[in-house]
Amino acid sequence: MKLYKVVSLVLGTTLVAAGCGGGDSASGPAEIKFVWWGNDDRAKLTNEAVQLFQERNKDIKVTTSFQNFQTYFEKLSTEIAGGNAPDVIQMDYRYLNEYAGRNVLLDLTPYVGKQLRTADWNQGFVGSGKLNDKQVALPLAQNATTIVYDPKLFADAGVAEPKIGWSWADYKDAAGKIQAKSDNKIAGSTDFGGTEDVFETWLRQHGKKLYEDNGKLGYTKADLKAFWQLSKDFRDAKATTSAELVTTLNAGAEQTPLGKKLSASEHSYDSLFGGYDKVRPGELKLGPYPSDSKDKLGSYRKPSQLISVSSRTKNKDAAVKLVDFLLNDPDAGKILGANRGLPANLKIRDQVAQNLTGVNKAIFEYEKSVDASLGDAPPAPPKGDGAIYKLMQRKHEEVVFGKTSLDQAVEDFFSEAERVLS
Amino acid sequence: MVLAERVTPAPVRSAAEGAPPRRPTRSQGVAYLFLGPWLLGAIGLTVAPMVVSLYLSFTDYDLFNTPNWVGFDNYAKLFGDDPRYLKSVGVTLRYVVVSVPLKLVLALAVALLLNSLRGKGQAFFRSAFYAPSLLGASVGLALAWRAIFDTWIDTPDTALTTIVLLSAWQFGAPMVIFLAGLQQIPRDMLDAAAVDGAGWWRRLFSIILPMLSPVLFFNLVLETIHAFQAFTQAFIVSGGRGGPADSTLFYTLYLYERGFTEFRMGSASAMAWVLLVVIAVVTAVLFRTSRYWVFYGDER
Repeated sequence: MKLYKVVSLVLGTTLVAAGCGGGDSASGPAEIKFVWWGNDDRAKLTNEAVQLFQERNKDIKVTTSFQNFQTYFEKLSTEIAGGNAPDVIQMDYRYLNEYAGRNVLLDLTPYVGKQLRTADWNQGFVGSGKLNDKQVALPLAQNATTIVYDPKLFADAGVAEPKIGWSWADYKDAAGKIQAKSDNKIAGSTDFGGTEDVFETWLRQHGKKLYEDNGKLGYTKADLKAFWQLSKDFRDAKATTSAELVTTLNAGAEQTPLGKKLSASEHSYDSLFGGYDKVRPGELKLGPYPSDSKDKLGSYRKPSQLISVSSRTKNKDAAVKLVDFLLNDPDAGKILGANRGLPANLKIRDQVAQNLTGVNKAIFEYEKSVDASLGDAPPAPPKGDGAIYKLMQRKHEEVVFGKTSLDQAVEDFFSEAERVLS
Repeated sequence: MVLAERVTPAPVRSAAEGAPPRRPTRSQGVAYLFLGPWLLGAIGLTVAPMVVSLYLSFTDYDLFNTPNWVGFDNYAKLFGDDPRYLKSVGVTLRYVVVSVPLKLVLALAVALLLNSLRGKGQAFFRSAFYAPSLLGASVGLALAWRAIFDTWIDTPDTALTTIVLLSAWQFGAPMVIFLAGLQQIPRDMLDAAAVDGAGWWRRLFSIILPMLSPVLFFNLVLETIHAFQAFTQAFIVSGGRGGPADSTLFYTLYLYERGFTEFRMGSASAMAWVLLVVIAVVTAVLFRTSRYWVFYGDER
């Protein structure tokens, strides 16, 4: 008990100090901090939009900062723990429950439809920012899973490019031919077995899901085994990358096998296409996932990023105003374009679609081509999904390197995943 | 022994004369005044956070909300219910056992080499060999290492070796200390041995190493403690996740992951305290054994 008092004393002092620092915010301009993850490209556009917001709201001062995905979340957790929470926070679907479930995000419900305009939105999409009937975030933009590929390599090997209706067997066959054509120097595909995003898409093709509504795993050991077997089939057919290249989606495009020209096709999200195009300008295209089910593509309208307000902000109104500006202002929409994916506001989406070029055009056209097959987003994954995401990657690595048998890896995965979720 | 001679007789004398124990004098007050800034830092930035983390290790603290007391739960779970924890212990022990001797042998070898280079060359080469250590904790260096040993780092069987090599390469700090120790060894002793017909190896094992043993001991203790705490290189080289397949999952890396990406700060604090206790025990054991092999010039 005594120790607890010491701790509360220490924390209390910190809070008081923090309170003193920002105490007179009512008199001066409201200062808010807006953070996101992304690259220089995104930073340039976002800062431009923030600049415009400040010009229109002289009484609000916005400071910004950004990191890459992984660093961003490490920094964010320490900042919030240290009582330095940013006011406006770009949020990931995977982390939504981790943060909202710990009461870190402001419930925006009272603002929705008022200060936060959502009339021009797909209402199902608005709901993807809801948890337990609380609007803890709003989606910033929409993206979907995709296969990014190098059309030249497909043509050289004389195989058809990805199109709706192609099967996993077609993919394996095409990838094998591409790889053979280059004498195994360029893999036909990037190994997808360690990526939860691919597993989710594959599960949805089979009418299953990653998580049940009660937060338990939505698949069986047999499902996971079948998925890893599929990845193994690709390896056995010499149709995918070698063990050393097992990689993550969260690495920058310049570090992935496709970005390094060591693979001809790679599972990804269409919103990441800008990064790929920067590394290999004009060389790559977007295509749909293969599927063994005619009417199920597995991809869905995913919030590529969401935006939240900290529950500890001292400037709620200013923070909400910035959120609304980024989401719904036509001029902000013009600046931001499709950098984060398709704008959530449908009017702005149409406006952006009017004069598209380059990367944005490719993303819009891809989404249009699959739109009829896209499902609504599942509820945000439960707390612990971040750990399970990494677990999947790790166990798959162990299989690929021959450290563990496939069956053992499935067993290990389930016991560890269930422990994480319990 | 110089120190001991000055200190030990004092209480004997005062006890004999029956003098009262010395009261704090003004000069002591001044001493504390000068120590003040450091004391404040030590208490505020080291002791207090340590006490808090000890408390947190008995709670379910998740970084954001009020911690709840859970007793020894965190500690019990580490050993009972977590194969990854034991894996991280294994990786760290392997790293300590291989990297510390390797680094010390390299440092000693280079120090011997430099010591034989009396003259201008020594200063230059000393700086040159020390340079990698200056960049020791540098992220840039680890990134360069990552780029150079690309394939090794991406293979579970060799990833840890790469990090061991990176650490061994940064032998500058113990090397400089060895060099200073070597220069303290009286030349006449070595010359006399040479005249008596002792060869280089004989002089190394019978004179240099015994005379150098306090320095060796110092370096061994310091490097062992550092090795247990290794973090930066593994973090950068493995992209922060201890991969591939957990082959570079250092203890500290796992601790960090627990605390800051899984939000289990209570458990992470427990890990930190286990590490602290282990380091203390290992250090104590090293001190114990030192009486059998560390030779202070004044004995016998």
